[in-house]
Amino acid sequence: MDQFGSPAQPTSVITAIGHTGPSSMMGHMGPGSVLGGAGPSSMMGMGPGSVLSSHNGPHSNMMHSISHHGPGSVVNLGGNPGSVMNPGSVMNPGSVMNADLMSGAPMSVGPPTNLQIPMTPLMRDAHMGERSHHHDHYPHSVPSNIHAVQPFTPASAADIPQPQLQNIVSTVNLGVHLDLKNIALRARNAEYNPKRFAAVIMRIRDPRTTALIFSSGKMVCTGAKSEEASRLAARKYARIVQKLGFDAKFTEFKVQNMVGSCDVKFPIQLEGLCLTHAQFSTYEPELFPGLIYRMVKPRVVLLIFVSGKVVITGAKFKREIDDAFHQIYPILKGFKK
Amino acid sequence: MAYQMYRSTTLGDALQKTLDELIQEGHISPPLALRVMTTFDKAINKALSQRAKNKITFKASKLKTYRFCDNVWTFMMEDVEFRDSTKPFEGTIDRVKFVACDGRAAGQTH
Repeated sequence: MDQFGSPAQPTSVITAIGHTGPSSMMGHMGPGSVLGGAGPSSMMGMGPGSVLSSHNGPHSNMMHSISHHGPGSVVNLGGNPGSVMNPGSVMNPGSVMNADLMSGAPMSVGPPTNLQIPMTPLMRDAHMGERSHHHDHYPHSVPSNIHAVQPFTPASAADIPQPQLQNIVSTVNLGVHLDLKNIALRARNAEYNPKRFAAVIMRIRDPRTTALIFSSGKMVCTGAKSEEASRLAARKYARIVQKLGFDAKFTEFKVQNMVGSCDVKFPIQLEGLCLTHAQFSTYEPELFPGLIYRMVKPRVVLLIFVSGKVVITGAKFKREIDDAFHQIYPILKGFKK
Repeated sequence: MAYQMYRSTTLGDALQKTLDELIQEGHISPPLALRVMTTFDKAINKALSQRAKNKITFKASKLKTYRFCDNVWTFMMEDVEFRDSTKPFEGTIDRVKFVACDGRAAGQTH
């Protein structure tokens, strides 16, 4: 649970807010940030204890959401066209949402004007956190040029589940034409039925994966649980093909898709979610029991089930899955059954 | 053409040896022996698919490797135990190679 100010996420802006307005701090953008030339950081105090801080990139339209959720309610978002806070903060007056924005995001889904219309935050680097009423904050600096001060209670942060990678599909080009019949006859654990499918289907046990090997020399590797495992598996298949006497190289390795899943551990009211997020949602329980949520930024698809299980797919990077989940989690909390 | 894989069974092997002896002793000609063997292929394929009612089952602890090519499955299994409906045979066998062909294609000629 080190999503706040973790060095692995150098593009994030972390904003810290305490109940005492003056002690709030704004994270500063480092040179490596996507916001290059960080926009004017504005900070607004709204009422007793309620703080709203918005950080705007050069291209973003100002959009201030005002929270009316009583003392202790803190909303902190990067103003971005179309970015809106979610109703999760309505349900949880103590929650904090920290979101920075990716500047120049052109995708606007209509400028929403208040918090009561929940829409997907169109921010790439949105980070949500929750905390209970918390008057002091712990400086939490990271060894990068991003200074982050993030107050949160570790206990409540640990409540947010993390998505687990379930499948990775990658492709690689072996750069040589392959005699599939020869491969199928000599390699172990191979299937080749040209009447049905024009590729050799090969499996290995470690990492437990399946490969489709085409006569063009291109290969698809599926089933790995991490990017490294997918790469290792693809290398092993390339080695097998090499050992069969083909001049196979290992080029153009690329992860094509990542699938993650997570259990938020509470039931979700999908009808309500579908109504309020109609632009992104498809929910036809007669066709498929899950709600299909097409997030715009990051561009991934989420399958959300009544049981609270969430599947995230369509990502090319693990980061996109994490981002998507951290954006959807507070929304889902708002539709807890 | 029917599958020729049953030539390596005990029955097929015995027939092949007998035919070889007959050829050596000059009783039959090699083409005749060949014809007998093709008749055997047809007969045993038909008999096994239509007349054999016995069933045996087997269970292995591990499938070591598999292959599917030219419509033939090949399996290498470890610690295989064969049994009929009443009792197991012999005991477990360390490693068994299975070759399985499409049963429906057996009777057909192509």
